[in-house]
Amino acid sequence: MSLPLLEVDDLHVTFNTASGPVHAVDGVSFTMESGDSLGVVGESGSGKSVTARALLRLFAITDDVRIAGSVRFDGVDLLRIDERKLRDVRGGQIGMIFQDPLTSLNPLMAVGEQIAESLRLHRGMGRSEAAAEAVELLGRVGIADPERRATELPNSFSGGMRQRVMISLAIACRPRLLIADEPTTALDVTVQAEILLLLDELRRSEQMALMLITHDFGVVAATCEDVQVMYAGRLVEKASMVHLFDRANHPYTEGLLRLVPRFEDAHTGRLHPIAGQPPITGGGGSSCAFAPRCSHAFDRCRSEVPPEVAVGPQHLSACWLAAERAKDATEAGRPWKRDP
Amino acid sequence: MSAAAARAVLEVSDAVVEFDTDGGRITAVDGVSLQLSTGETLGLVGESGCGKSTLARAILQLVPMQQGSVRLEDTDLGSLSPRELRRMRHRIQMVFQDPRGSLDPRMSVTALIGEPLRVHGIGDRASRAREVAEAMELVGLPALVADRLPSELSGGQQQRVGIARAIVTDPAVLVCDEPVSALDVSIQAQIINVLDELRDTLNLAMLFIAHDLSVVRHLSDRVAVMYLGQFVETGTASEVFTEPRHPYTQGLITSVPRADTESAARLQTARRLVLGELPSLLDPPSGCRYRTRCPYATDRCADVEPPPDLLDGHHAVRCHHHRAITAGEHQPSSKSMRG
Repeated sequence: MSLPLLEVDDLHVTFNTASGPVHAVDGVSFTMESGDSLGVVGESGSGKSVTARALLRLFAITDDVRIAGSVRFDGVDLLRIDERKLRDVRGGQIGMIFQDPLTSLNPLMAVGEQIAESLRLHRGMGRSEAAAEAVELLGRVGIADPERRATELPNSFSGGMRQRVMISLAIACRPRLLIADEPTTALDVTVQAEILLLLDELRRSEQMALMLITHDFGVVAATCEDVQVMYAGRLVEKASMVHLFDRANHPYTEGLLRLVPRFEDAHTGRLHPIAGQPPITGGGGSSCAFAPRCSHAFDRCRSEVPPEVAVGPQHLSACWLAAERAKDATEAGRPWKRDP
Repeated sequence: MSAAAARAVLEVSDAVVEFDTDGGRITAVDGVSLQLSTGETLGLVGESGCGKSTLARAILQLVPMQQGSVRLEDTDLGSLSPRELRRMRHRIQMVFQDPRGSLDPRMSVTALIGEPLRVHGIGDRASRAREVAEAMELVGLPALVADRLPSELSGGQQQRVGIARAIVTDPAVLVCDEPVSALDVSIQAQIINVLDELRDTLNLAMLFIAHDLSVVRHLSDRVAVMYLGQFVETGTASEVFTEPRHPYTQGLITSVPRADTESAARLQTARRLVLGELPSLLDPPSGCRYRTRCPYATDRCADVEPPPDLLDGHHAVRCHHHRAITAGEHQPSSKSMRG
């Protein structure tokens, strides 16, 4: 067996804040192979974005942050290489796109120039070669008239086009892993559809691994084969997307699936919000972090952290009732769906 | 729901809103008419820049209309003096997208909710306190947050304050402009439930603007789909969402990523229904506004603006070809069959 492309092992991220430590990521482990597509889902504060940032140690200088565990990318532990080497990986082997492309693009530099700069830096191209490649890349992500548009500043692009520019910048150095953090949350649905299709096409054509962070299971369904659900800094459920829709096991996953109105349903009464809020201090306790909000919780949930239990092929759930719930799901079909 | 039988509390006729921009004059709202009855929710959907928020502001008389009228409970708001208009305002209220930005950070929860009553000179101190307490209860704000400042509230509580401020004056019409899009998913569900319950308990007429079609479908009785300043399709929520006729509506609906195994395939279909990019309002297409992105467009679409074609019930569609498309007699042109 060859090494996986990405192997995250027991990742912990702790922020020291004025009001005490926050365990934003609390023992997360997962692997990705080339061409894999992984959706990471959870509420705000679940630790999904912090996990992605920790892979590349992308934190503000002002953050008092401690990272533990290991992040092996192509066999090299990114947490243990120096900042200079890590800079080669960021925007090189690992590309990133974020919700708001404007914060990641230089507003005073033509977009073509920004892409060319990255190509010179990471791929050692000459000036004219890089400029030509930048135009080529803009065309590839579906920007019409790329020669002309390469000379324009980011603010002359619409939201969707700006996200395309961001994607062309992220894939410029042929990354082997692309991390997309809520890449379409700010976009209209028609534009979102285009961007999601583009990400999917790029992943397939480049054999690139895609990690997509979102709160929207629909977005995951359109782009990812696998999904992991995070709560309070921990992975609570991992499965193939198809399997998760059929057999969501963890009560938190079930809650997330039930809480949004599904488009295909007409008004079917009130929605089912998950009572309460995620803990502001993140994980780190000696109980199931979801227990205070869980209607199935019993004594053991409040005194012991539930381990990840296999409840099906490639399907793990960190719940003391996982095995029992898996059995019920098999018997009852899709319990979270409102209409069978 | 029987919109025809119920009394229309809000009636917008042929509203036109124009703006001067750096690039020239644009028509943001282009001849829109709608009626809204008590206890009824009209959902307004369309992409950014389609004019839905401008229409909401025009209805509230916050931007001037170049043409058309807004009648609220049989009063033509455009005919009122500023003073008379202020006196009518408590009957039509608005809930905004960003709850924090719309609340004065130095005021307590009770002061914020009581403010509209004071401004409109409604009741005395004691009756106002009662109204505020009642509004807090209706939106699910516990009494213990009464003296807190907005910064001491969660995002969901802030939006509840925003809603309480809007309903405390006993409005007939509530205009909600993207009231949940800035909130985290779990809080969205709570706020949607609050609005749903209020509409029922207070018998409100609600204009609900959102880009999230699932939320609109969940809350709305009727739906209007807006494109470049015009309504291209209107009808009951089930007419518009389960039997969409306009190619744009079909494209919008197909673009919604659903949590199922057909999700990716559906997006491929969506791409063939909505082509290219939104044209600029500075240079809107002749004839049918949607024709530049429509796979079914013909020369006629460029020459003649389609009038609303009324199907059975409330369903109206502005498309020359929708009957032929539905009958399978009109195919997309080849340019749409790319990738």
